[in-house]
Amino acid sequence: MTTEGLRFPNGTTVVIAVFLIALPCILPSLTLASEILVLATGALSCTLLLGSVGLLSFGQGLYFGLGAYVSAILIRDFEMSALAATIAASLAGCLLAAAAGLLIVRRQGVYFVMLTLAFAQMGFFLALAFPRLTGGENGFGNVPRTAIAFGQFALSNPLLLYVFLAILSFAAFALVQRIVASPFGSVLNSIRYNESRSEALGYDARRFKLAAVTMAGGIAALAGAMNTLMLNFVPLSAIDVETSERLLIASLIGGVGSPLGALIGASVLSAMSDFLSPIWPRWSMVVALLLIVTVLFLRDGLLGLGGVLRRQGKEMPNG
Amino acid sequence: MSAQVLIFGALNGVGIGMIYFILSVGLTMIFGLMQFVNFAHGAFYMVSAYAAFAIAQWTGSVLPALLISPLLAAAFALASERLLLQRTYSLPHEAQILITFALAILAQESVTMIFGTLGKNVPVPEIFSGVVIFGGFVYPSYRLFVVGIAVAVALAMWLAIERTRFGAMVRAAAENAEMMGLLGFDSRKVFMAAFAFGGALAGLAGALAAPLRGVEPLMGREALAIAFVVVILGGLGSFSGALLAALLIGITQSLMSMIWPGGAHLMIYGVMTMILAFRPTGLMGRS
Repeated sequence: MTTEGLRFPNGTTVVIAVFLIALPCILPSLTLASEILVLATGALSCTLLLGSVGLLSFGQGLYFGLGAYVSAILIRDFEMSALAATIAASLAGCLLAAAAGLLIVRRQGVYFVMLTLAFAQMGFFLALAFPRLTGGENGFGNVPRTAIAFGQFALSNPLLLYVFLAILSFAAFALVQRIVASPFGSVLNSIRYNESRSEALGYDARRFKLAAVTMAGGIAALAGAMNTLMLNFVPLSAIDVETSERLLIASLIGGVGSPLGALIGASVLSAMSDFLSPIWPRWSMVVALLLIVTVLFLRDGLLGLGGVLRRQGKEMPNG
Repeated sequence: MSAQVLIFGALNGVGIGMIYFILSVGLTMIFGLMQFVNFAHGAFYMVSAYAAFAIAQWTGSVLPALLISPLLAAAFALASERLLLQRTYSLPHEAQILITFALAILAQESVTMIFGTLGKNVPVPEIFSGVVIFGGFVYPSYRLFVVGIAVAVALAMWLAIERTRFGAMVRAAAENAEMMGLLGFDSRKVFMAAFAFGGALAGLAGALAAPLRGVEPLMGREALAIAFVVVILGGLGSFSGALLAALLIGITQSLMSMIWPGGAHLMIYGVMTMILAFRPTGLMGRS
């Protein structure tokens, strides 16, 4: 991430808070606003990995899906409250990411990217192979609208649901900002710029990467749990590779230079999906073209649009 | 389960594995040569399988597709290299991955636009619709044909790379493209040829696989993940590693589909995880 704005809380924190409050007022439906929150939180996990450590993950959908299933099972079969289920799902995401991360971070560069995709695919086939647990292709249904905690604040009220999701989402954004601003975040940043030099300085790059992968897994799982709260249902698509790709695309389009990028990317992508898909079912083509333009011309995503217009694009640091 | 069933399953797995090998070897070659990661490789496979479907519809047989589909895939690969991908050679790997990934989405959406979202069957060519009986074993003759083609392709490729002038140029370009340019060879042309060749191989895999598994828009995605498993285990740029890994996961998939059909694909990734747990750098031990 850029060196300016490395404090927490800072102006970006305020902008994110205002954005979350303004979203339901600007948008035509509360559902769309909630969708944006879920996508933004999931995309944030990609932003954390790519923006701070320079790790490209095609597999965050695995943890998103895990979080979705774990929270759904806890709420439906163990009658847990929404808050407890969400926290448990996030921890489960951390655990799985730490376990998968042990194998993934041992390989660098291209292998890392391929492994994230392979593990995401494995998660999909896992969900498909155990339909008794996940509902298989039919999805995991009949998740009741529970209360947030202690039987208070029933989430059947759509505005309350949005507020709860917004608070969870804000917590994730604040956490990422806090991580990036910490000394730990500086080490991550140094690994992104020059991994071998960081190692020469005495930092064990693998352990730092593993820690980042673990946190990103927890955040993606949080987004999955938020998805369950929103839908009362877990479709099989929650864990497929396409979900991983959507999270990554949202973070890239917005720009990985700041957590704010995840929010912007998710808003643009969700709005496009909402407005374009009824008109043209193959609207993903537009997304693909936008992705090409972003990578070739807007290396800081839409967030960096102003900067690009002002001056020539600067070099990508992790080259 | 009798030994005969097991052997039959293993033989089937060899057929699947050989298709995985042809699919992956193009990916591994393009990387070995150009350090280029092609996320559109699965799209070449998918487009070619759909071409095979269309050809089978028009001519009544999928056989001509075995020649035409790879050519189409090569043309597709070449066109995308000239129009888009060559601009990314100087960019970091991440940018190449994302551009080729976007290309794969474009291909998948285009195919869906033309052929629809539903999967379609491709009939096995009539000459190979029977079975071959040797010893006590019954084996579908189309699968035997697939194995035969794949072995021929593997041999031809090995000969082409190790024994011909073009192969020497490819190896030289992989070693040091800049030096090769200084010696008066056009490394761009070698790259273009390699891209076309890699595309053609993915195309051949797609055309061969079409009668076995049918065609559907998401097959490219699935194939890309399989090809990744093969190169993760076999090592990027390694032919023998790709062959070994492809056969291993092909046989795993085939045997598992008899024991636990729902988990056949899962076990491909299960095997990958187990191998990585004990050999972090894959079967051939190089990183």
